[in-house]
Amino acid sequence: MKDSFTLHELYRTAKGFTQQCDLTNRIILTFGEQVIAFRYLDFVSFRRKVDRVNLHDMIFNLDDAYDFEVIEAPKSNQQLVLTLCDLVQLRDLLSGTQFALDLNSMLHEALYTYAS
Amino acid sequence: MKDLQRLRTSLKEEVELALNAQVKMEAEASSKYLAMASWCEVNGYLYSAKYFYKQAEEEREHMLKIFHYLADQGVMAYSPEVGPVPHDYPSFRSIFEAALQSEINVTHSINRLVTLCRRVEDYATENFLQWFVKEQVEEEINARRALELFDVIGEEGTGRFQIDRYVYKITHLDVE
Ligand SMILES: [Fe+2]
Ligand SMILES: [Fe+2]
Repeated sequence: MKDSFTLHELYRTAKGFTQQCDLTNRIILTFGEQVIAFRYLDFVSFRRKVDRVNLHDMIFNLDDAYDFEVIEAPKSNQQLVLTLCDLVQLRDLLSGTQFALDLNSMLHEALYTYAS
Repeated sequence: MKDLQRLRTSLKEEVELALNAQVKMEAEASSKYLAMASWCEVNGYLYSAKYFYKQAEEEREHMLKIFHYLADQGVMAYSPEVGPVPHDYPSFRSIFEAALQSEINVTHSINRLVTLCRRVEDYATENFLQWFVKEQVEEEINARRALELFDVIGEEGTGRFQIDRYVYKITHLDVE
């Protein structure tokens, strides 16, 4: 498969998965039905946005407006409409992805620092 | 597999966040000095007002210095939210005490940043921060000198009038 040369899976949960595309330098998020490609910086700011949502308010505020959170994906004209449950799962997926990216970076540093 | 993170930036996330926090601190310092300038100007201490207006500007420059560094390193600098700052000071002297305390707090913050850089082996940012380390020495000297004038000149009689004039000379020694 041609895909396997450039697409690397970063993290996977029951609700979705993320991949890194080395051809386009994008991080591709598949969450439920939605697929969104991020540049690294946009991924980070998206993750922070998701982390900033106040779950406590969503649980305890009975107003309909607190049943869903709408989050805009950077530069992609896409938005995610997320329930409390989605948010928890998305956070899990994004932080796992960040971990994989961090780990990959550490490995690069460790393995390629000294030319051998 | 490419290292997308490192290709984007050399900054570790904790350093990035700490630098953005410092951006906010410099903005707050600028805002505080502006309030001090306002108090001085409206209470007749025109030279001290000038001194604080200048300090306010300098703090904004400090903020921008970090701002550009973040952008240069490939990450987002966040325009900070600055809350309300104190405008009520019990006396002319208390302003200078607050100014010194504020500078001491900034010095501590810069030192913690340098410590963080060493811990994560970010020597480039540590090097960048050395300018701030030096600057803080200068800032504390000036703030302390201003307070010293209250003891050297004394507040009695025309004392505060004199202090006001000499405060301005701290950073403008060429001025009569
Ligand atoms: Fe400063
Ligand atoms: Fe300062």
